[in-house]
Amino acid sequence: MAGERAVGLVRELHRTIGGSLPPFRTEELRQALEEMRALYEQNQADVSEAKSGRTDLIFLIRFRHCCLLRNQRCILAYLYDRLLRIRALRWEYGSVLPNAIQFHMSAEEVEWFNRYKKSLAAYMKSVGGEEGLDLTQDIKPPKSLYIEVRCLRDYGEFEIDDGTTILLKKNSQHFLPRWKCEQLIRQGVLEHILS
Amino acid sequence: MGWAVCPIRFAKEGDRFFIGQSAVRRRPIISGADLAPSLSRGGPRQPPFLRCLPAAFPSPRRSCSAAMFVSDCRREFYDVIVSQRVLLLVASDVDALCACKILQALFQCDHVPYTLVPVSGWQELETAFLEHKDQFKYFVFINCGANVDLLEILQPEEDTVFFVCDSHRPINVVNVYNDTQIKLLVKQDDDLDVPAYDDIFRDDEDEEEDSENESDGSEPSEKRRRFEEDVIERTMKRRQRREWEARRREILFDYEQYEYHGTSSAMVMFDLAWMMSKDLNDMLWWAIVGLTDQWVQDKITQMKYVTDIGILQRHVSRHNHRNEDEENSLSIDCMRIAFEYDLRLALYQHWSLYESLCNTSYTSASLKLWSVQGQKRLQEFLADMGLPLKQVKQKFNSMDMSLKENLREMIEESASKFGMKDLRVQTFSIHFGFKNKFSASDIVYAAVSLMENVEKEGPEAANFIKALDSLSRGNLDKLHQGLNLAKKQLRAIHQTIASCICTNLVISQGPFLYCSLMEGTPDVKLFSKPVSLCLLSKYLLKSFVCSTKNKRCKLLPLIMAAPMDVEQGTVIMVGIPPETESSDKKNFFGRAFEKAADSTNSRTLHNHFDMSIIELKTEDRSKFLDALISLLS
Repeated sequence: MAGERAVGLVRELHRTIGGSLPPFRTEELRQALEEMRALYEQNQADVSEAKSGRTDLIFLIRFRHCCLLRNQRCILAYLYDRLLRIRALRWEYGSVLPNAIQFHMSAEEVEWFNRYKKSLAAYMKSVGGEEGLDLTQDIKPPKSLYIEVRCLRDYGEFEIDDGTTILLKKNSQHFLPRWKCEQLIRQGVLEHILS
Repeated sequence: MGWAVCPIRFAKEGDRFFIGQSAVRRRPIISGADLAPSLSRGGPRQPPFLRCLPAAFPSPRRSCSAAMFVSDCRREFYDVIVSQRVLLLVASDVDALCACKILQALFQCDHVPYTLVPVSGWQELETAFLEHKDQFKYFVFINCGANVDLLEILQPEEDTVFFVCDSHRPINVVNVYNDTQIKLLVKQDDDLDVPAYDDIFRDDEDEEEDSENESDGSEPSEKRRRFEEDVIERTMKRRQRREWEARRREILFDYEQYEYHGTSSAMVMFDLAWMMSKDLNDMLWWAIVGLTDQWVQDKITQMKYVTDIGILQRHVSRHNHRNEDEENSLSIDCMRIAFEYDLRLALYQHWSLYESLCNTSYTSASLKLWSVQGQKRLQEFLADMGLPLKQVKQKFNSMDMSLKENLREMIEESASKFGMKDLRVQTFSIHFGFKNKFSASDIVYAAVSLMENVEKEGPEAANFIKALDSLSRGNLDKLHQGLNLAKKQLRAIHQTIASCICTNLVISQGPFLYCSLMEGTPDVKLFSKPVSLCLLSKYLLKSFVCSTKNKRCKLLPLIMAAPMDVEQGTVIMVGIPPETESSDKKNFFGRAFEKAADSTNSRTLHNHFDMSIIELKTEDRSKFLDALISLLS
């Protein structure tokens, strides 16, 4: 049925909860675009026929045009929503995305991501005076300089600002500067303990 | 009596023995022949549980004899580490947990970056030290490390400093007299009786004098005369030296013979906080719990407990005086601590009064609740107080208010009629919010059962962390879980005691009593953990003393054995001192176990910080016991 594949794409995206990025469905997108092209060509043929007298084709042309618009809307929504998710990933993961996620992005999306990164970096540099301001840190207002964290799994050695290394073993507790821990907390290696 | 030969331990698969600085993997010991490699191991390193005297008498790195106790905790300890990174090595007992909480709170206040590593025995201590020694220079040992020669076991670098806050006594003499690397956070007024420096250490100057005299030479007759004089002088010196050595051995033997406990580490940490004026009500509560842990586990004498309660009471009234004033009292949600002359019944406010009476060792032993007559006496006791059975068997909070009002005085009165004069004890309770009221001993039982939770299979550190969390007021769910586990534990303990006494499992071996739990006993898995087993043994001894008519047996100590790991065929063995009215809680089993193990070549593992708890192979049990009997007779 016309428009099914495009809606299918949107449905899949709607189903993935939590803002995670499912793989880029190149094949389905190509099929949807193929369908659009077929509809368009049929419409082209019918328009020339309608112009030369057969007015009963006008409804069919109308219908096909609506299908085309619907497909266009679905595909655009799909692509745009993915871009929004990728943008959120920059704020969550930092400038280097894990490989698993990069697999799910198409080449154009990767390029978009790089350009977004550059844009964000340029902005951050311009905002904070000399050094720039890292806006991706401290998303929630910090309560203290150092936080108590507990290690949830073996991570190995971890270096902090003054050069010293800490061995992160499962179930050990540490009291570390907050800005170093944020990344690891997001990755699930450390757990913030509130006492 | 020398302790020159060390007990041999068996290794588990994957155990590491540390030679020099590197870890060596050892294969498991299967037969006696495999034990030989441990003896031929070269180098001065020895396994941690060995308590040998230093072979020569090298002076530790100092020359004068002042002991190395930190006199100003704040200046010599806290100010030193406040700008450094610190590694905290914390033993697995509630007192250590409380001290750790207080220290953590201080560190968080001052942004001292630290890492916390729980250790449950000497092996873990060594492992943790070796893993972290490159990253840290300052180590704080809480409730571990005072009773062995730390420098020899851990072999730290020259600039590493150890701060030891430990309630185990006696403190190893090398730790006392080292002034550069080991600082002891111990109160000076604890009865320490450390031998004087000159009695134990002496520099080897005399050897050189002798050799100098020998190389002198001139005329033959003069030479011969001088030679004779020299010989006499040298023999005199040698005899003096031998006498000195003999006296030294005796002094050290007397000093290290008995193990006991000093002031709670939590109280020492609270003291530090108070000196810095950073003490809070929360820290005071943790100090109280630490002290109560020592009392619940019977580690300190009654007099010391009362003295320490007096000290804490002053702090409590300083922090909590606002509650006494009716007009200006704090909101109900604020935390407040109150001194109470409370009943000694375990967990009674979270249980029913009846269950609590049945499962507290004091009442259970005095009323002899394992026998039918004991049960009848319990009924009489309740009837004497006028408490209906229906009320008493329901949850304490749902008892009638009229009954609860004068409960303490009523119980005390009736109890003295039944021979229980000390049913009330001085303690503290904490109160925050409308529902949350806990007595210090409740928290201790809850934390102990969380730490030794056998229900979940997992690394021990996870249990440690759960117990540590339960001490914070924000983690009430963990505390309630602990209380439920504690109820199960106490019930299991008293059922086991009842069956042991009824089936006469406690036998007198001559110099001590012995009781061994069989593998199929219900809840025996619970008793494979040291603290639970110790509690069981202490309560069993109390009950046994009340049940036996043999006057001699009442004064004997007890050794208790329980299966530890069925697959590996090991048994955990605990020795506790005799139960007397004025017992000084000094335990000689640490030394006795070592000696017996080495004289019979039994495969033992002295891994716990308390030397009176050991693990050994089931096959070696009987010869080990025979050796103990002959040693102690």
